[in-house]
Amino acid sequence: MKNGKKYTVAGVGVAIVIAIAISFTSYLGQFEQAENQGDNVPTSTFQAPFLGSQSATLTIVEIGDYQCEGCKEWFDHTRQKIIDNYIDTGKVNLTFIDMAFLGVDSFNAAMASYCAGDQEKYWDYHVMLYEHQEGIDSGWASNERLKSFAFTLDLDIDEFSHCLDSKKYYNQVKLNLEKATGIGADRTPTFILVNASGEQRQIIGSQPYNVFEKVIESLL
Amino acid sequence: MQTSFRLVFTKYEYFILSIVISISLFFTLSIISEYIFLEPYLVFSVYTETAFNFLLVLILSILAGIVVSMNIFRVKLAKKSKSVGASLTGTIIGASAGVCSCGPIGFSVITTFGTAGSIATAFLTNYEIPLRLISIGILIIMLITTMRAIPAECKIN
Repeated sequence: MKNGKKYTVAGVGVAIVIAIAISFTSYLGQFEQAENQGDNVPTSTFQAPFLGSQSATLTIVEIGDYQCEGCKEWFDHTRQKIIDNYIDTGKVNLTFIDMAFLGVDSFNAAMASYCAGDQEKYWDYHVMLYEHQEGIDSGWASNERLKSFAFTLDLDIDEFSHCLDSKKYYNQVKLNLEKATGIGADRTPTFILVNASGEQRQIIGSQPYNVFEKVIESLL
Repeated sequence: MQTSFRLVFTKYEYFILSIVISISLFFTLSIISEYIFLEPYLVFSVYTETAFNFLLVLILSILAGIVVSMNIFRVKLAKKSKSVGASLTGTIIGASAGVCSCGPIGFSVITTFGTAGSIATAFLTNYEIPLRLISIGILIIMLITTMRAIPAECKIN
């Protein structure tokens, strides 16, 4: 009986070690897969607004979810430095692709951002969403909150509400999710940096500014 | 209590085992929780708002290494396996809380299990800190229990 217990404990231990090893291998495997598939990303097929000059020689494609903690960390610590040093100087532009997979509110938030885009406030709304991000599906991006964000930004509420309630951009958000997963993105945030000659690099996760700086400089 | 530490960790194999468990768990959780990035450069990054969580990962890893190896010693000594089960439970709770839903593990769970997966990963993400504190609590209780039990079991044997 005692031996049986011993074997059970040993079995559980071995199973845990194997599970951790599989998760870790899978993590690295998926990373490599995403990196390899990122060699020929057809970024032009995405429907997304650009921040910065259209004539910039480098584009950063951010694949993100409005409920993702890592995306908010990047937004809080890295994004503004890139805007100040590269986007405002005309060297780089930035675009955001929704990969709304974390919950129901991710999808609603992404649709709302495009509704704000109808009134030329896509990026203001984008900023508003990340500044107010809370727990996943905790109600921070409920329909009422999304409309209150629109009100704060002085958007035409009737037009915005009609757009959101009618799910005008449902297909676009769904298409973006499919495209993002189709190119091998399996986490948010994922960044694809593409220069004018088509050379691409990927940065996966909420990495600090100095990593972006090095990769951008190598591509400019 | 010091006797227990001396009994276990003066043995070379248990000392090494505890270090191996602690380091493996720390690196695995740090990579999953995005404190360490391997590509495109090896980078270590902790922001102010994630510093507390990082500290919990560090404490959890050290405690798990100590408690699990002490309990393996205890199993060999007294053939009691329940204590290992409890210490592993504490470790698993702490490790699961670190499965960031934005990451590939969360993504796989959500795409495989749909809404149920989404609810599970949201729970693990939203309650990451309380879950880690619970797991540290379990490991501390296990540590105290084990430290008290080892000298007594040594006398019997």
